[in-house]
Amino acid sequence: MAKPRIAVFKFSSCAGCQLELLNIEDHLLDVLGAVDIAYFVMAKRENHEGPYDIGFVEGAVTSPKELLELKKIREECKVLVAMGACACTGGLPSIKNFAGTQRQAEERVYTELWDIKSIPAYGIDYYVKVDAYLRGCPIDIGEMVELIKSALLGVNPHFRPHSVCNECKLKENVCLLVNKGKPCMGSVTAAGCGALCPSLNRPCEGCRGPANDANAASLAQTFLTELGLTRDDVRRKFLKYAGNTPEFRKGAEAV
Amino acid sequence: MSDRRIFVDYIARTEGDGAIDIIIGPNGELKKARWEVWEPPRFFEAFLVGRKAEEVPEIVQRICGICPHAHHLAAVRAVERAMGVKVSEQTVLLRELLHYGDWIQSHALHVYCLAVPDFLGYESVIAMAGNSELLPIVGKALQLKRLGNDISCIVGGREVHPVASTVGGFTAVPEGSELRKLKERLKAAKEFAFETVKLAAKLASQPPYPDLVRKCEHVSLHDDKRYAINDGRLVSTEGLNVPDWEYPVWIIEKHVPSCNCKHAIIKGRDSFMVGPLPRVNNNFEQLSADAKAAAKEVGFTAPCFNPFMSIVARGIELVHSIDASIELIDELGDPKYEEPKFEYKAGESYAVTEAARGICCHGGRIDKDGVVQKWDIVAPTARNVYNLEKDFEEFVPKLLHLSDEELTLKCEIMVRNYDPCQSCATHSIKVRIRREE
Repeated sequence: MAKPRIAVFKFSSCAGCQLELLNIEDHLLDVLGAVDIAYFVMAKRENHEGPYDIGFVEGAVTSPKELLELKKIREECKVLVAMGACACTGGLPSIKNFAGTQRQAEERVYTELWDIKSIPAYGIDYYVKVDAYLRGCPIDIGEMVELIKSALLGVNPHFRPHSVCNECKLKENVCLLVNKGKPCMGSVTAAGCGALCPSLNRPCEGCRGPANDANAASLAQTFLTELGLTRDDVRRKFLKYAGNTPEFRKGAEAV
Repeated sequence: MSDRRIFVDYIARTEGDGAIDIIIGPNGELKKARWEVWEPPRFFEAFLVGRKAEEVPEIVQRICGICPHAHHLAAVRAVERAMGVKVSEQTVLLRELLHYGDWIQSHALHVYCLAVPDFLGYESVIAMAGNSELLPIVGKALQLKRLGNDISCIVGGREVHPVASTVGGFTAVPEGSELRKLKERLKAAKEFAFETVKLAAKLASQPPYPDLVRKCEHVSLHDDKRYAINDGRLVSTEGLNVPDWEYPVWIIEKHVPSCNCKHAIIKGRDSFMVGPLPRVNNNFEQLSADAKAAAKEVGFTAPCFNPFMSIVARGIELVHSIDASIELIDELGDPKYEEPKFEYKAGESYAVTEAARGICCHGGRIDKDGVVQKWDIVAPTARNVYNLEKDFEEFVPKLLHLSDEELTLKCEIMVRNYDPCQSCATHSIKVRIRREE
């Protein structure tokens, strides 16, 4: 079998997910032996044209230029992976979509607006077909290794569509929402992180986006009536990492 | 005779998206020397308005995946200052250890994966791994990087964007036994850190680098008692010495005719440099004994104004970071869980930390309900853009005899000296319209 040609692309993002690709130090040399990294500008000076077998895209699309690039990338990649919350759902950059108009956002940061070419922030599947999602902010290293192994074996990766609560229970954590009255988003958020934050006493912030049967409206009501959050607080919770998704939007609109 | 152009549309082995554009006239005069960041803006300062104070550190660390800790800790301190939140000594120590973990990770990444390939003539660390002589070095570099990441995981919960650190303290603290295991690994890593300093010095001593000296103002944090990383006064080689929360007063941005980005200058003076070299220059006395010894061994004397020595400064800081982490682990002993506590209070304040690539500034205004009214962010790379262009102006004319390919690589190295983080720097690139007065 020829080594699969891999490409890593960056849009509007922090490069943290690309860095996670390099944070598999213990496996990195093995992975490098199994694949051919054809395009990865953060790590290499010599980068090659497509086509590619697998393309990893990091970042949200926030400019017309990125959109054009994305369409070209889609044509060049057999398998396209959305890598991280920004590429999956728009991530943190999508907060601006719900904080006034694009022009208001620009006026707060810049003085000369004529050269700013920015559009609302969306994940890449708003524009093109995506074959696999590595969720989370940043991605989970275990899931990434799972994806690479599955790709090499030619099988579908085993990702978990159920909620973070499942993993939290397996870890035998005390429930932050029910027992401690903290506004934890775990019940509506997709698993795969091993319930990292709740295991460290920190309520889930929903960075992985909605689980497959999320009832966000109900959780929003619980935050409001039982935990005593304000309406604005609840909206902030649901319009953070994945406010673009219809599921989380329902949570924000329920209060 | 026509103009000669050195153009790199997408600089490799740096974080983010940037370009170099240099135009040299027929008589060797520099007509244009620009480092352009074309990373799209993400409007952090805009959408932070209306968010809650405790969210700020969580959100701003996502400005950068390479130095999230620096943004996070600067924001944590700015929020705590604004709301009058006091934290325990244990929290201060844990934060410092968390940040040293990031320095070890970031410096190991930069030295071996981003910078060394240039000096050894490889296109990447991946290509270096293909050479059986270099493979053991690459393996050790990855081990050192992993160690930095593991500190971050044990103290903060994760490599990138740690989760346990928050306003008021830590939601969970590491086990003392875990910290002591780290200590053993840190001791074992010392030797390789020493070797890193030697390798860096050897590479930076190749011609033409030793002749490329340009004196400019070097700015960093400074603390008399310890090597400044999360706290201290803002000092410089030209006599600046002010509290860190006054950064908006002393570091200002000025418009420069015919340039499309605002330039960071020290009030009343000109461009300045931030990063490991300025830190080692300003804080040489506070380095650990072994870090000083490593510096002496390779003939490094502070102050040094050769930007190509930045890689050596990073090596020296690697040795120091290992020593400092060991000391912090000893001081921490068996950390006890303390519930992070804070109350909303109206206030305004600013704070500075030292990201691996230089001072990272955050601050703003919070109202009585804990809602952010205004937030200011200036990342280290934004400080360095102007200074790098001055490097181009000084060094490019000295390198005109090189082929285009060689000169292009040298210009890229000049950029990589600064270990730039272009995602961070984006919003400093402010376009201006020239109007005839």
